Amino acid sequence: MEKSVVEARGVKKTYDDSGVPVHAVRGVDFKLEPGEFTALIGPSGSGKTTLLNILAGLDTPTEGEIRLSGRLISSMSGRELSDFRRDHIGFIFQAYNLFPVLTVEENVEYVMLLQGIPSGERRRRVMEVLEQVGLQDYAERLPLKLSGGQQQRVAVARAMVSRPDLVMADEPTANLDSATSGELLDMMRRLNEETGMTFLFSTHDRIVMERARKIVVLRDGKVSEIREK
Amino acid sequence: MFLRLMSISWRSIWRNGRRTVITGLAIGLGLASMLFTDALMQGMGSHMIQVATDSWMGQGQIHRNGFLETKKLELTINAAAGLLEQLAQDTTVAGFTPRIISPASVSSARELKPVTLYGVDLSTDTTVTMLNSALVQGQYFSGDSMEIVLGDELARDLKARMGDIIVITVAQLDGGLASSMYSVSGICRFGTQDLDRYAVFINAGSADALLNLQGRIHEIAVRFHDIETGTDSTGAFQQTYTGGGNRALGWPQLAPQVDSMKGMIKISMAIMAFILFGMVIFGIINSLFMSVYERMFEFAIMKAVGTRPGSVASMVVLEAFWLGVFSTCIGLLMGLATLLITSKTGISFGEIEFSGIVFDRPIYPVISMSSMFVYSLFTIFLTAAAGIFPGIHAARLNPSESMRRSM
Repeated sequence: MEKSVVEARGVKKTYDDSGVPVHAVRGVDFKLEPGEFTALIGPSGSGKTTLLNILAGLDTPTEGEIRLSGRLISSMSGRELSDFRRDHIGFIFQAYNLFPVLTVEENVEYVMLLQGIPSGERRRRVMEVLEQVGLQDYAERLPLKLSGGQQQRVAVARAMVSRPDLVMADEPTANLDSATSGELLDMMRRLNEETGMTFLFSTHDRIVMERARKIVVLRDGKVSEIREK
Repeated sequence: MFLRLMSISWRSIWRNGRRTVITGLAIGLGLASMLFTDALMQGMGSHMIQVATDSWMGQGQIHRNGFLETKKLELTINAAAGLLEQLAQDTTVAGFTPRIISPASVSSARELKPVTLYGVDLSTDTTVTMLNSALVQGQYFSGDSMEIVLGDELARDLKARMGDIIVITVAQLDGGLASSMYSVSGICRFGTQDLDRYAVFINAGSADALLNLQGRIHEIAVRFHDIETGTDSTGAFQQTYTGGGNRALGWPQLAPQVDSMKGMIKISMAIMAFILFGMVIFGIINSLFMSVYERMFEFAIMKAVGTRPGSVASMVVLEAFWLGVFSTCIGLLMGLATLLITSKTGISFGEIEFSGIVFDRPIYPVISMSSMFVYSLFTIFLTAAAGIFPGIHAARLNPSESMRRSM
């Protein structure tokens, strides 16, 4: 049997920044199987981004354990976790967050550079993925010369080029108009079908929810409902 | 990866070009100031050595053992003729002149002063000293046995003018006193108290006769083709001419105060560099911290996608390195422009006396390639080092925390 891409058990997260404990996540059990196209939804403050950060190993849970591709990430050192993220997780953020001094090609190539992939292979894969997102003619451009939708497509290309097990997208359509959001989601869903890569979105955008095959509803830091389509 | 980090960091410093240029100008100005001050100090040092050696002392001297300490008349150089012949054959020697030296008293019609009497060998003196060009009144010795040249301060003290009669009284070799009259034929100014206030110069033949030395001499002053020849106390000059009761010394041993001044200049420069670069380094750290705080989200993303903390820190240090390279270029341009102008015009301090040496001529900064190289490397190294602290800070940023705070 194939391992789950994400497996969370009893995950809790409490912030204590100002001396008053804030329970952002209150015990989440959650699984994501390979090839899923899932949306994590819920109102603002429901703990979506916190849970996404914990699942990606960017934050540590106060309680509970997370397994990514079968590996327990809470037992990893900082460096191991860094390398694990590099090799197994792709990220897409709300505000695109491309490196402004790097060209489109260099942005997409960056993670492969960290992985030590030879330049010829890097170049081939960058062009391949840019073609998949329809930006092959923009390789030499700087991100600030692109529209918001184009920048987010570059972010998708960057997240996918290293062929991770899981692509995590935190409110990827928040800064886009609905037409562009629809196009972007259609493209991501197509890539999901073509590559079998697993996608997990945190969102409250209706367009994302419409296209997701599974929806996990988070309310007050807990999973309140899981809907499969 | 390292090359890519170099490229990213170079591009990153130009994201905020104005800040980079302002920081570069601040660091560059610091470097230019250091270069200029160093060159000026070198110029001052060279001037001091030049005044000390070229005007009268020479770059090396040979004496009988004990003469310098006691100035005893009987301590004349052993086998002087042989030494003079050997010096004439020595290819490192550009010129040399024998001298007679004795304590004496001089009196004019109004005053009496203790002085050092120098017997000058007219045929060789001009190859070593600047007595000829130091004359501010009158002329160089014509060969007349009655001629005497006085320092200008001594002339003032004695209230003596050109053509006045001066009487020199000395103790002869056999202990008897001898006096002789001379006519002031020249008044000189070297810029050192020892020569301008406490020295008189007469023809060596007259001095020999007055002191009854019968051809013996007290000192041979030497000028080398390369001044460095005489600086090492265990060098060839000292080795060759020390022996047989005589001792050869280079200018650092003859004028240790000048040599000490060189050391003092080095220490002063080190202190100044410490203060100046210390101020600059905090400016750089501040600027880099501003840059790191502005880009917290970006560093968080870098870490999120798998960049190791060491690479994040390296990137900040490399940005500092590039800032150092850019600043060094500005500093070198500003420093060189200033130095090129002032090395032609010189810088006049009026007339000041320091450590017995009068600075009455413009000081010309001396551009040293080695100083430029060292200060430039130091600036780059220090600026890069200033990036370590902000770099560590960036490397330690928690990705999710930074993203949360940047929102």
